[in-house]
Amino acid sequence: MSPEPATYADARKQLTGLAIQAVELAQQFGAYASDAMIIASDDTSICVRRGMVESIERQENHGVGLRVFVMTPSGPSFATASTDDLSDQGLRELAKQTLAMARIATADPDAVPPVGAEHPDAECLRQWEHSHPLQSPWDLDRAKEAALQCEEAALAHPGITNSDGAESSFGLHHIAYASSDGFAGSYSRSEAALAISVIAGRNETMQRDHSWHRAPNKRMLRNPSDLGREAAERAVRRLGASPIDSCALPVIFEPRTATTLGSHLLSAINGRAVLQQRSFLADKLHQHIFPSFVNIEDQPDHPQGLGNRLFDGEGTRCRACKLVENGRLNMFLADRYAAKRLKQAALGHARRGLTGDIGVSPSNLIWQPGHASPETIFRQLDHALLITELIGFGVNPTTGDYSRGAAGFLIEKGEISRPVQGITIAGKLPEMFTSISHVGNDLTWFGAMAAPTIAIESMSIAGQS
Amino acid sequence: MPDLTIAPSREDCSRMSMSSLPIEHRTLQQACDLIASAQADDGDIFIEQGRAASISLEEGRVKHLASSRKQGVGIRLIRGEACGHACTDRLDAQAILETAKAARAIATGGGCLRPVHIQAAPASARLYPDLDPAASIAWEERKRLLERIDELARSLDPRIVQVFASLAFSFSDIHIIRWNGEWFHDRRPLVRLNVSVIAEEKGRRETGSAGGGGRFPLMELVEIGRAEHYVREAVRLALLNLEAREAPAGAMPVVLGPGWPGILLHEAVGHGLEGDFNRKGTSVFAGRIGKRVAAPGVTVIDDGTLPRRRGSLNMDDEGSPTQRTVLIEDGILTGYLLDRQNARLMGMESTGNGRRESYADPVLPRMTNTFMLAGKDDPSSIVSSLKRGIYAVNFGGGQVDITSGKFVFTTSEAYYVEKGQIQFPVRGATLIGSGHKVLKKVSMIGNDLALDPGVGTCGKAGQNVPVGVGLPTIRIDELVVGGTKVQ
Repeated sequence: MSPEPATYADARKQLTGLAIQAVELAQQFGAYASDAMIIASDDTSICVRRGMVESIERQENHGVGLRVFVMTPSGPSFATASTDDLSDQGLRELAKQTLAMARIATADPDAVPPVGAEHPDAECLRQWEHSHPLQSPWDLDRAKEAALQCEEAALAHPGITNSDGAESSFGLHHIAYASSDGFAGSYSRSEAALAISVIAGRNETMQRDHSWHRAPNKRMLRNPSDLGREAAERAVRRLGASPIDSCALPVIFEPRTATTLGSHLLSAINGRAVLQQRSFLADKLHQHIFPSFVNIEDQPDHPQGLGNRLFDGEGTRCRACKLVENGRLNMFLADRYAAKRLKQAALGHARRGLTGDIGVSPSNLIWQPGHASPETIFRQLDHALLITELIGFGVNPTTGDYSRGAAGFLIEKGEISRPVQGITIAGKLPEMFTSISHVGNDLTWFGAMAAPTIAIESMSIAGQS
Repeated sequence: MPDLTIAPSREDCSRMSMSSLPIEHRTLQQACDLIASAQADDGDIFIEQGRAASISLEEGRVKHLASSRKQGVGIRLIRGEACGHACTDRLDAQAILETAKAARAIATGGGCLRPVHIQAAPASARLYPDLDPAASIAWEERKRLLERIDELARSLDPRIVQVFASLAFSFSDIHIIRWNGEWFHDRRPLVRLNVSVIAEEKGRRETGSAGGGGRFPLMELVEIGRAEHYVREAVRLALLNLEAREAPAGAMPVVLGPGWPGILLHEAVGHGLEGDFNRKGTSVFAGRIGKRVAAPGVTVIDDGTLPRRRGSLNMDDEGSPTQRTVLIEDGILTGYLLDRQNARLMGMESTGNGRRESYADPVLPRMTNTFMLAGKDDPSSIVSSLKRGIYAVNFGGGQVDITSGKFVFTTSEAYYVEKGQIQFPVRGATLIGSGHKVLKKVSMIGNDLALDPGVGTCGKAGQNVPVGVGLPTIRIDELVVGGTKVQ
């Protein structure tokens, strides 16, 4: 591992200084407590289509988000505001404005001002910096080469008739945080990605599919030609897809679509949603919500994870934790506010954008893989539906009602028999979770989430007739 | 459709002077020269200054106020099918010129330098007031509105256990300077109110939501009983859903109600008719102009010129005036939605549909307000024509795969109908169909065209823009209904 360029450390130091300045101004103007987050990002992407450069984009952004608390007889009240004007004048206006808004908000006795969180200590900050050196950005010409190579491999595949383009992208993000209890810290993240989308068939028989890979740096990206071939194979094998008759069948989610089950779990164990009864799992803490072979953890520091973070949006140090252990729901995901009201420990799950209230999210959500290969699962289920694509928003996190558009393959006699599209799969998430029958051994990473193949005993399929 | 008749505001629109530009004239001149000398086909400088704010209520408390300020410059350079785009959130000369140079990365090299003269283009239509929508109403008043919403919702029925309400409003100031010096200016207000409730009975919890908005002062959401209407609507939906039963699974006739169910058009045909997909031949509608794509009587329009509508714009994000574009006329495909680049490459004219979420995003052809013209059928006779099927009145979101044409949208208020009679409400179900086939199955068109209340946001390539939809009551002879009850 090579040490990172010194300019990155300088950038972080400067941003941390600005975060401290924003907090100091808020305190000067009369805040009870405050914290600030600064995000600076630099992203570049290059897109090629049919062997020619289609677009080059460069985005440089930075902004500061400030959260200000005031104390009232009925408890703390607060507001948030953001600006991309980091000048002294800009920060002053921001602090004044946020304070004025906080004085209008209604107090909440349970509100948690940014004081006394479990922050990472200086040694911890140093170690993180040492063990997560940032790579220098991808050279634009090399990034272009990778995209061209990826598309060329896809277009060379028999049956591919058109391209929607291949894209290489890379970015650097510095995150700095300061709070009025004296803590200040920063860390950086890098990302590189390669994506391709191609079309097989013509006119009304056209099918498109895509492949992509995101990694913490360019050297960890998959081979461009392999990725291109994968997208091509996926598009070609969908040719001739048609609906099946309405029925009930076992449903198998390949890793790509299995990640959506993780997302539905996350919205249901979101501590804020639980407090507001917007979750079908609100009263399921410490209960079995999955079969006993299901384990799901949150890991804030993983070599392949794009969600790595040292501390969360409230400066709380992020800890690895087992969300689901042997099928049992161990905890809800919580920021400090939700943690206080749910009587849980705050483990660093506060999600924060520059403006808006604190939300809740994990760092990297990882399903523990099982032992069976996807092919073994197909054979064991004999007759089933393999889902390779889901569309639409038909999931209600309050009730768990689930109904989504789907495409994939029919499994007959234990093997893939024909492509399917124009159908929906429907059920109720609580039952879908408890009736998981198989977890595959093919754990696959998609950004900040890793999932294997997952099979569910039975779902309602709507199609022809 | 009363909102279509409201006259545009007569605000003073002569504010355009060099002093309203946040960047020095000389710097813009230099940036234009850099673009113009790059032997490109087109290019522009997009300057955006915006403010957005929101206030929200949950658990009986107006706990959260937020505001944000955003400014930046995006510089584009277009050459054939290629586009170079760079942006910065700094407005100083050095940042602007570096950004212009980065955008030039797409071009082959320096051509001759011809000085460009920046000059205001004729002002476009005034479809909305040129005022900060929040100016007329203070934070305290906004807070009281949300508190009244909470009280009203809880007073309507004891089964209402949670109320969420939020007001969001923004005002953005846009300058576009084309590489030939043409200079365009627009100021865009946008407001939105959302109410969402949870009803609980015998351990069962259900949600109901309603809301609306557009490009007008925040005050109007408060004044004319709109807020109260949304509260009653959200409560009615949540209570209705407590009674909802399993939806059927399978192909059957579906009747769509007027207004927001126009999301069908947005997903089934709107995206598939966007110029970029058709130029590249990746849409199932590519090369079909002049062909029948819908039943006789079906006429679909995209109209960015409806006053005060959420999807409307005085000009698009390339400075082209918005317009009324007939996409499908009496069942025949007649047009695409185009920005300048795709129009040029296809030998057509821009339809004023070039849009970007912000200065930091590239321009794409996008919809504005998309709707179907009214027919002659009586809405109640359309519902009573159903022997066995679904009558869907309201929807959540939808999505489409423009290559295979498969699209979905999910009901939030729908009923099971037998022998022409409504039987019972059904739980949320996703409907799936093929965009190039579904409109051929339209067999009845109501005389009750309505536009949605102003809540739509369209996502494409990671960019969100506000849009509108509209529909009269229609009957579709077959759609797949994604319920849980398999016959």
